[in-house]
Amino acid sequence: MTKQTFIHDRHVELGAKMVDFAGWHMPVQYTTIFEEHHTVRNSVGIFDVSHMGEIIVKGPDALKFLNKVVPQDISKLVDTKAVYCQLPNYNGGLIDDLIIYKLEDNKYLIVANASRIDEDINWLSRNKFGYNVEIIDESHNYSMIAIQGPKACEYVQAQGISSLPRFFSIEKGSIFGIELWISRTGYTGEDGVELIMKNEYAVKVWDKLLETGTAYGLKPIGLGARDTLRLEAALHLYGNDLDENTTPIEAGLKWSVPADKIDDYNGKSVIMNQIKNGVKKKLIGLKMIDRGIARHGYEVFYNNEKIGVVTSGSPSPTRGDNIALAYIKNLDNLTVGSTIQVSIREKLYNAEIVKKPFVDKRNK
Amino acid sequence: MNESALCTKTHEYVLEQGDKYEIGITDYAIEQLGDIVFIELPEVNAEFTKNEVFATVESVKAASEIYMPISGKVVEINEEIVNSPELLNDEAHADKWLIKVESNADQVEFADLLDYSDYKEEIE
Repeated sequence: MTKQTFIHDRHVELGAKMVDFAGWHMPVQYTTIFEEHHTVRNSVGIFDVSHMGEIIVKGPDALKFLNKVVPQDISKLVDTKAVYCQLPNYNGGLIDDLIIYKLEDNKYLIVANASRIDEDINWLSRNKFGYNVEIIDESHNYSMIAIQGPKACEYVQAQGISSLPRFFSIEKGSIFGIELWISRTGYTGEDGVELIMKNEYAVKVWDKLLETGTAYGLKPIGLGARDTLRLEAALHLYGNDLDENTTPIEAGLKWSVPADKIDDYNGKSVIMNQIKNGVKKKLIGLKMIDRGIARHGYEVFYNNEKIGVVTSGSPSPTRGDNIALAYIKNLDNLTVGSTIQVSIREKLYNAEIVKKPFVDKRNK
Repeated sequence: MNESALCTKTHEYVLEQGDKYEIGITDYAIEQLGDIVFIELPEVNAEFTKNEVFATVESVKAASEIYMPISGKVVEINEEIVNSPELLNDEAHADKWLIKVESNADQVEFADLLDYSDYKEEIE
């Protein structure tokens, strides 16, 4: 049975093309992926991301427990701050990637991928033994709307949002007279916020956003553009770029793994060993030189030898070329600027290793 | 699109034009694909049997293989849309065919092709 968000009927009324994604009936596009992509890069777009999971971890041992299941040092997280992290298994492979928010002492919110909520809950429950902690899946009670783009913050402030949190922070607040959580996070490489609210308010917030956003060029954005936006920002997609056989170090997420964390955590020995001694495979960014689009699952070659596989690939609407993320063997001579090949329909096409992210808006 | 074309259930069409046939994808297929960003066509003189893959059309999200509605030899390819694939999405643009072929296809090959009106019913 495919699930529907509380805003589902609005998407259908707006004429969105609907697809099944992670068990949810979701809008892939309202107009075209290119148009929606440019809306988010140039002004502001809103996304119904109510399929995402919300898990509350609370209790006297909440901090100790979280420090056991993620590589990040949760003890460094102060109230209202958020941190990007992963949930490694005992081998360092990733069960999911998450954002953890500290709501207050002994109470944390985890925002998880829709496709992994059940696995996350299972894994957290398995690791709970001996910790005085409650793990509550609140996913079915909350809706989430992301507002993203260079005009996103200006727009929500003009709507009288009670407080705009700092980057990677969360605040309790209100907009349109509705109490909700406001998080300064996103999945597009743009500035913006994500609103987390009780399901009963979701349609009202959605309607008010569309109604008041016209002057800012605000439009609804589907999952199609969400994917091209996150790829340009080189943000990982679980299931494509991350899985249970890939460690955070291989995935290029060393920045989210503190080297000095004292507490032991699942997978720590493997992860620390990779930091010290290096990895066998690594995630790289590719730009196609020849005409062709590298896509998920396509093989990567160097000197006619298979060295890896593309995990995400698509045209880049912002750059106008074709980009991809791929795992390749960690060979010393393959670095930014090297030419390798992608096999597309049994022919090899040249591609160049390039720096990630492909589009960098934050440093501008 | 020209409603006298014959269509496949896999959303290709074939349109008889004098001694040649024009082959492309249906308006429904174009709408379903969304933004078309890449088209790969065969070389002139290439020969294909019915149901063989002869081209690839890629949208932002995916690559789709395009099958021959009838057998034939390629005599012309639409260079304009290879260079500007987005023309397929442009409602004002008329020339959306992919290739033109010479064909000796017999009645058997045409038997499973649908009239445009039957095709429309099929996809609804």
